Amino acid sequence: MAAIEAISLTKKFGDLVAVNNLSFSVEEGSIFGLLGPNGAGKTTTLRMIYGVLKPTSGTARVLGVDVVHNPTKAKSLMGVLPEETGLYPRLTAEENLIYFGKLRRMEDWRLRKRVAELLELLNLTDKKYVIADKLSRGQRQKVAFARAILDEPPVLLLDEPTLGVDVMSAREIRKMIEDYAATGKTVVLSTHNMWDVERLCDYIGIISEGKLRYLGKKEDLEKLVGEKEFEDVFVRLVKGDVVES
Amino acid sequence: MRVRLFRGSSGVVKLSRGLGQWGYSLPARTWIVVAWKELLEALRDRRTMLNVVLLPMIMMPLVISLPTLMLSPKAIPPKIMVVVSDEGAMDLAQQIKSLESSSQAQVYIVTGEGDFSNLILNGEVDLVVEIPKGFLRNITDGRSGTIVYYYDPYGARSSVAIGIVQGIVDGYSHTILKERLRAINLSEEYIRPITTVAKQVTAGGGEVSTGEVLTAIVIPMMVGLIAITGAGTFAIDMIAGERERKTIEALLTNPVTRGQVLCGKFLALTALALISGISTVLSSIVGVGIAVSSVEESIAYVQATKLIDPSKIGYFIVGILLTIALGGLTGNAIMVTAASFAKSFKEAQQYIGFLTLILVVPMVAIPYAPQSLYPYLRLMPISSLAMFARDMIVNPGELAAVFTSLAVSLIYLMVFLWLSSKMFVRESVVFG
Repeated sequence: MAAIEAISLTKKFGDLVAVNNLSFSVEEGSIFGLLGPNGAGKTTTLRMIYGVLKPTSGTARVLGVDVVHNPTKAKSLMGVLPEETGLYPRLTAEENLIYFGKLRRMEDWRLRKRVAELLELLNLTDKKYVIADKLSRGQRQKVAFARAILDEPPVLLLDEPTLGVDVMSAREIRKMIEDYAATGKTVVLSTHNMWDVERLCDYIGIISEGKLRYLGKKEDLEKLVGEKEFEDVFVRLVKGDVVES
Repeated sequence: MRVRLFRGSSGVVKLSRGLGQWGYSLPARTWIVVAWKELLEALRDRRTMLNVVLLPMIMMPLVISLPTLMLSPKAIPPKIMVVVSDEGAMDLAQQIKSLESSSQAQVYIVTGEGDFSNLILNGEVDLVVEIPKGFLRNITDGRSGTIVYYYDPYGARSSVAIGIVQGIVDGYSHTILKERLRAINLSEEYIRPITTVAKQVTAGGGEVSTGEVLTAIVIPMMVGLIAITGAGTFAIDMIAGERERKTIEALLTNPVTRGQVLCGKFLALTALALISGISTVLSSIVGVGIAVSSVEESIAYVQATKLIDPSKIGYFIVGILLTIALGGLTGNAIMVTAASFAKSFKEAQQYIGFLTLILVVPMVAIPYAPQSLYPYLRLMPISSLAMFARDMIVNPGELAAVFTSLAVSLIYLMVFLWLSSKMFVRESVVFG
């Protein structure tokens, strides 16, 4: 079964077509990178999949659960790191995790264990009683990442997980993504960072102007375009120099 | 050593850490979890603590009692100078001086003539009472003796002083009148053919004290106002603030419905409105008590039982608590709806400032509205709440009136809650 299926997803904001009839599927246990320039429709696509935006037409399924018709069930299968960390500034790092853990109906003992484990893994134990407002950008991003994998959901959606984060924190987050996928979970990440794509992704989808320009294995794309830097591959695809495989 | 009430500059939470840890053992009900988070945030927000608790506790007694206290002769006795130019009228001056024994005024008697205007203009005295030459001769000759008051037309204390002195002068004049009538063998009734008596008419049939009247006027208005506006800042924060900080998107990625989230937020807001409302009521009662004590005969006369009829205390408490809860929910539902149109906290504040003004008008108008308007006020949004509080305090026995204002308040509450939930689920609320 595909972990995620996007079926003719379309989103219009007035006259603007942000996402145009987008279809793709993501295999279970893979890391899927969604690439595209600013305003291409990556975030809108992810938002429709994780259920905070309603598609104008089309739908998406997460492990077979329709996000439009059964959003609550679908959301319970996904962990999400949105574009903004969305941490409550007056809550501590730990309280932010408690809040979201309780919203995901985690049992008391499991939540305590998991919060301690994640704070330890992300080197944030000494920051557990610090309000989010006083954490650095990198620390906030790590707490938000911990929040996304708190109840170990089978599907993880990450919107720019390393954007604006210092080198050390980005490294820790990348490691966590790899480790998470290694346990058989599916990860979808939207990013500008070519290094993240090269290092992490098995499959990639390239979006430009709301349309899918390429969908396939990372290696296949490299073969299609030739011996080029990955960044050049991306630029040529977005410009339409290369025909979709 | 500085005491940190909320948190240190390092951002490490100390005092409210236990409340945060309490989150682990909360039941997994979305609305309870959301309410816990909202209250925890409110506790750490100085604005909320200031608006919800401290401001009503400090402001209400001051706002209610200060004007009465400032004008009360007992609290701050006015300074009166009696200038006696006719030494035969010293007995009247001494009667005015006797006001000092009841602490109603500070009286200075001087003899002679002069211009005392500067004393008024410099604020050294509030009133100069001049008993001019020939005053006694005019009286003994059967004519009118004239007393002159020199006062500051802008000074409220001057008016108070005139009122006190006039009481003495009226008594003095009355004594002379009685003597004159006796001399010609006429009764007082003969020259005063009509007298008036004022009798209170109340639904309960009994007499009500000044304190009870003030309570019935002030409390419903205060309760309504604070219930509606008390948690206003937090209502803005709940919607526009969540959007501005981009926290709402992360929240809605969880397996929760927007209705459950809104329900939790309203639970927290109602709790805040109750805290705010109760502190307002208690501080208003203190304010009314101080105000009444400054006008009544003695402080001992003013007891809590005089502010509230003891036989109606149960209705009073139920009425106040219900009004606060309903008012808090209604006000916040309106605020949430309005805040949903705003893209930022600042913009929401502007909408809500205007809206608060609109909501406050019916509350403030109720004490001055004629009784004939009461049936209509019971049917209007917001004013129905104040009318319910008033009905429960003044006429709890009038069931039709009580149930009308309660039912109408509940209907409006449902409408506003529905409206706020519709606005809350809009995508534009999440993404601006």
